Amino acid sequence: MRSTRAWQDDSEIFRWRRAKPIARWERWVLGVLLFLGLQSVVVFALWWFRAEHVGNLPLFVLLSFATWYGISRMLVGWYNVFHIEQPALPDPEGRTPSSAGPRVNAAVAAPADEGVRHSIEDGPSVAIFTTSSPGEPLAMFERTLAAARDVRYPHTTYLLDDTRDPRFAELAREMGAVHLELTGIPGAKAGKINAALKQTSEEIILVLDPDHIPFPEILDRVLGHFDDERVGFVQVAQTYYNAPRSFVARAAAEQTFAFYGPILQGMHGSATAVAIGANCTFRRTALESIGGHGVGLAEDLVTAIRLHAAGWKSVYVPEVVARGLVPEDLDSFLRQQLKWARGVYEVLFREYPRAFRRLTMHQRISYAMIGTYYLVGLTSLIYLVIPLLYLITGFQPAAMFLAEYLVHALPVGILGVAIYRFMQRWMCDPERERGWHWRGTLLKIGCWSVYLKALMLALGNVAVPYIPTAKERRTGNFWRLAAVPLGVVTLSAATVAYAVMQRLFVLSEAEVRITTEATAGMIGFVAVNVVFMSGRLYAAWKDSDHTRRGGATKSHSSPSAG
Amino acid sequence: MGARRYLRLGYDSIEQRLARVGQTMSDSEGTALEKTRHGSRRDEMQALFPSLQSRAWLAHPNRMLFGAYDGKMPDSFNGFTELESQLQYRFPIVSFYQAWGDRPDEAHFPLRTIETIDRLGSVPMVTWEPWVRDFDSTLRPNLPPPAEREYASLASIARGDYDFYVTAWAREAAQYGKPIFIRFAHEMNDPYRYPWGPQNGNRPDDFIAAWKHVHLIFQKMNATNVLWVWSPHISMPWFEYYYPGAEWVDWVGTGVLNYGDVAQWSRWWTFHQIIEKAYPTLQKLGKPIMITEFGSLTSGGDAVEWYDHAFHDMHDKYAGIRGVVFFNQPRDVTLSAQPLDWSVMQSDRMRNTVRMVLTHSQ
Repeated sequence: MRSTRAWQDDSEIFRWRRAKPIARWERWVLGVLLFLGLQSVVVFALWWFRAEHVGNLPLFVLLSFATWYGISRMLVGWYNVFHIEQPALPDPEGRTPSSAGPRVNAAVAAPADEGVRHSIEDGPSVAIFTTSSPGEPLAMFERTLAAARDVRYPHTTYLLDDTRDPRFAELAREMGAVHLELTGIPGAKAGKINAALKQTSEEIILVLDPDHIPFPEILDRVLGHFDDERVGFVQVAQTYYNAPRSFVARAAAEQTFAFYGPILQGMHGSATAVAIGANCTFRRTALESIGGHGVGLAEDLVTAIRLHAAGWKSVYVPEVVARGLVPEDLDSFLRQQLKWARGVYEVLFREYPRAFRRLTMHQRISYAMIGTYYLVGLTSLIYLVIPLLYLITGFQPAAMFLAEYLVHALPVGILGVAIYRFMQRWMCDPERERGWHWRGTLLKIGCWSVYLKALMLALGNVAVPYIPTAKERRTGNFWRLAAVPLGVVTLSAATVAYAVMQRLFVLSEAEVRITTEATAGMIGFVAVNVVFMSGRLYAAWKDSDHTRRGGATKSHSSPSAG
Repeated sequence: MGARRYLRLGYDSIEQRLARVGQTMSDSEGTALEKTRHGSRRDEMQALFPSLQSRAWLAHPNRMLFGAYDGKMPDSFNGFTELESQLQYRFPIVSFYQAWGDRPDEAHFPLRTIETIDRLGSVPMVTWEPWVRDFDSTLRPNLPPPAEREYASLASIARGDYDFYVTAWAREAAQYGKPIFIRFAHEMNDPYRYPWGPQNGNRPDDFIAAWKHVHLIFQKMNATNVLWVWSPHISMPWFEYYYPGAEWVDWVGTGVLNYGDVAQWSRWWTFHQIIEKAYPTLQKLGKPIMITEFGSLTSGGDAVEWYDHAFHDMHDKYAGIRGVVFFNQPRDVTLSAQPLDWSVMQSDRMRNTVRMVLTHSQ
């Protein structure tokens, strides 16, 4: 993410954008990079899995799992970006998305009349659903509903409300939205959507997250794709307007840029684009064919896999047509991540086996990969434990020469980074989204405990309550927020101190002399782990009660996410 | 594949730099140890064996030199130090094995292990095994395919096919500069053991030619710090036909391992029974004799008695023996999947017997 300055001009931020089209030469460069990358991975694999590299067998298995899990994530990214494809633009008539759509330069202003449908006779009837829950701030709805009202294509906006707060009904009326009182319905947001489906009749439904501000052209950019009778849902990019407000917001936003850019475009290319995040548009008959919107912590993903299994096609439109909020404080972020991770495991364990037979091969791979995304919690634990275990017990997972490891691993790493940077040209808003995304990486690995907790909860089949992600920045007790990273740092420091003492005073001279490099290497890994904890630690410090007096609201004293 | 070559080049340059960095780090850690522990093993060794760093003295030592190999070496010296602390003895010779080849543990002169042994104040002995099939075909297009290399491999070594390896190794050995025992192509006369044996069409002349060829390369590279240990298998007759000649050899060595009753071909043989017939031949060569692999299993007899008698016989009958290297391998799987325990620490009695002998030798 570039400098904060890029985020200062609201007229730049709240503006339609589309990912750059894919040029022929870019495909060639990408092809070459992917070929080299694949080659480097094969060479690395042939080298890694050699009998002479096995040290302590169980530890070698664990280390191999962690290493190759990480590489498989990278490979999946490559596999996706290899299929990169952008849906054709709707033609000026707004009828069928022609395959040779006009080229639009993303840097040029909004697409004027292109693809616009102004009259109901031209196209389908459309409803915009947005939901409100107790505790959500009224002001947010003022902005969202006003923006929904200004969406150009004729539509009806519905506020699916269970706040029992008369001001919400009042606001809906002011903004020309239909207020649906939907209290006491199980299934959270999805439950309300399903109840509202029964009370409405529009053919197409845009489910708008209440913290998202839609742009006037949102429906115009989406509806043309429904001309294909087999299309069940159309997903648009999820982008944010509060990303520069805090470290956590930046990090959380950075984690999404590649996904809503080249990755989902690649998934579109392999017919696996999912409904995920915010602002998915559904065909009513599609939702009805699977008994309504899916319920669960990852309800959008549940819905997507069911629709795919039922044979519906999906479209990903790589365009910024709305901007919303990303969690700004650590506590909210951790809660959101726990919810997502738990929800994704739910899809993996419950929905995926059911749908498996009816999915295409691409979809099987794709959902398996989404379902295992949060295993990073487990692999991070492995990476944390292995060097500490070595320093205490001397158990070595692998008998590898550092030089050999570097020679084989560096090409993989360099090509991985090169491909990651190259595919950033297809981000939806490259000016604000390109970069090394180190904050996102730091926070993702820093949150390992949350992802691990989600895995445990999923394996133990323990439910996590559905709470909408907080819309305001909150603070909490520093020691509670920082417990996990501080624990890791303390344990690491203590272990290194113990190891140094052992070497200076206890171990035999011969053993000390021959294990210098191995020990230094392991201490290096410990240091890397400590660095990876720094993001979460910093966020905890910034979001603690003590640093942020006033302004932010205090979080409830409910147990931490992890 | 060109990529492999580039990897290799990259590997070599990184590896050598890292090895140097590693040695520097290890040396500074060693300096710190000397401070915290007020002294080092090297100081003790120098007091006990003041001439140990002299090649001339090592070629004609005026006292018995004990040594040890431990199964965990060279990755870990834990087993070795455990052995030393149990026996309350510091071994002047530390023995380990290295195969030829392109694998990372084979590709270079084992500088880190050898430097470590040197820093500990002992002399390294490398049993240097020409496993010619371990060379990578993609890196060595001039070599025949691995399966074809082992037939008459000693002749091809003598012809210079493996000079690329021997020369580089010799150059590094010369750079190291301090005494090293090298036991090249040991048990060359045993047709049941290693690929460089007679079963693969390797004749005694081929062995002698290979030995001389390797030796000459070392001389050319100025690696005169090396002490050459010629080490046949004495249970096979006519081993003396493999002797390259007095000017090419510094020590004669042989393994004396009592397998007890663990194998069909073996039974309980005492040290005396094993060496008796061959000893006069060995002695006639006029070189100090080293028992390069010394040990007994426990199955089929009394191993404590075996060690006790062995040391007595050495003293009484085999005064030409100037070196004994314990084969401290508690998990030897070269004979069978069932690991064999050659350790001398299997019982208090055994350990005490060996310890007494070692203590008296000082």
